[in-house]
Amino acid sequence: MPADQTRRAVLAATAASLPLLALSGCKGVGALATPPRPAPDVAVLKAAIAAEEVMIARYDAVITRSARLAGSLHPLRAEHQSHLVQLRSRLIVPPGSAAVSPSPSPSSSRSGRAAGGPGPVPAGAAAAISYLQAAERHAASTLLHQLIAVSPSLAQLMASVAASEATHVAALSAAGGTGTAGGTGTAGGTGTAGGTGLP
Amino acid sequence: MTGTTARVGPAELSALQAALSAEHAAVYGYGVVGAHLTGAALAAATGDWIAHQVARDGLEATLRSAGAQPVAAAVAYQLPHPVHGPAQAKSLAVILEDRVSAAYLRLVALPGAAIRTFGARQVTAAAIRAAAWRGTTVAFPGLPAGALAPRVASRERPEPG
Repeated sequence: MPADQTRRAVLAATAASLPLLALSGCKGVGALATPPRPAPDVAVLKAAIAAEEVMIARYDAVITRSARLAGSLHPLRAEHQSHLVQLRSRLIVPPGSAAVSPSPSPSSSRSGRAAGGPGPVPAGAAAAISYLQAAERHAASTLLHQLIAVSPSLAQLMASVAASEATHVAALSAAGGTGTAGGTGTAGGTGTAGGTGLP
Repeated sequence: MTGTTARVGPAELSALQAALSAEHAAVYGYGVVGAHLTGAALAAATGDWIAHQVARDGLEATLRSAGAQPVAAAVAYQLPHPVHGPAQAKSLAVILEDRVSAAYLRLVALPGAAIRTFGARQVTAAAIRAAAWRGTTVAFPGLPAGALAPRVASRERPEPG
């Protein structure tokens, strides 16, 4: 369409001469009406909230499959629930911002997909424990990377949550070892991680 | 972290000194802890005692490289409660680690990425030790209960413009 191309050419020329417009030029004319971009905290918080939701779903999946593990997993699941409550309480977005809408945005599509479910739980208590330990390690490591870019108070909360999740790795080893004479299949491989912290 | 603190501001220095003070107290405290333990528990206490000595030395080196005089250890420390047996010794270890966690969490509030990461990893290390002594985990290592009030979030609104 020649007319559209002409309009784009005009927009491009205008954007080139006005640095402020150049920043939003790629979004077209509508970008002029968009509210201020939310702080980095919002994107990180939404990702952290989604991660905690998936973690709780993972625990629920294991708890429903293993009555033997349920007793020792419930306290850990409760701590994740506390994490989730605290993270959600920090989620404050400017009124009218698109960030509050539940519809998936490009930045949240990954976490949105992940929030769809915990994925398949491997069979057997030892494998289930390893599955949760891997999830805890990954969650803690992700938080440690994300907290660099957020506000001081949120960074402290995320560091504390990451530390709590790191302690769960050893607690899960103990939970997996309770009541089983064996349990050394994967416990031997994962047990050492509890004392050394994050990779 | 040494080498990344070429320019260390007063806030960083203050937080690093506070962390060092907590490590000094932990090194002293674990001496008391270990004196009341035997066997595997004593071995664990010794390992943690060494970990705090290493952390103390690292903080002192970091502070010196930043041109600051590291805060000295006290001759003795007031214990939070009497220690006469293994249970009280383990309880003291938990308190020491909780205080170390809280001190390192101050570093996480600073602007620098390197010091934040360092602080966060030390919080994790202390939380793992605390959980081992406590026998259970906690949801928010290093954070005082008052810091969890949702009201804190109101100060994190993005600045206009």
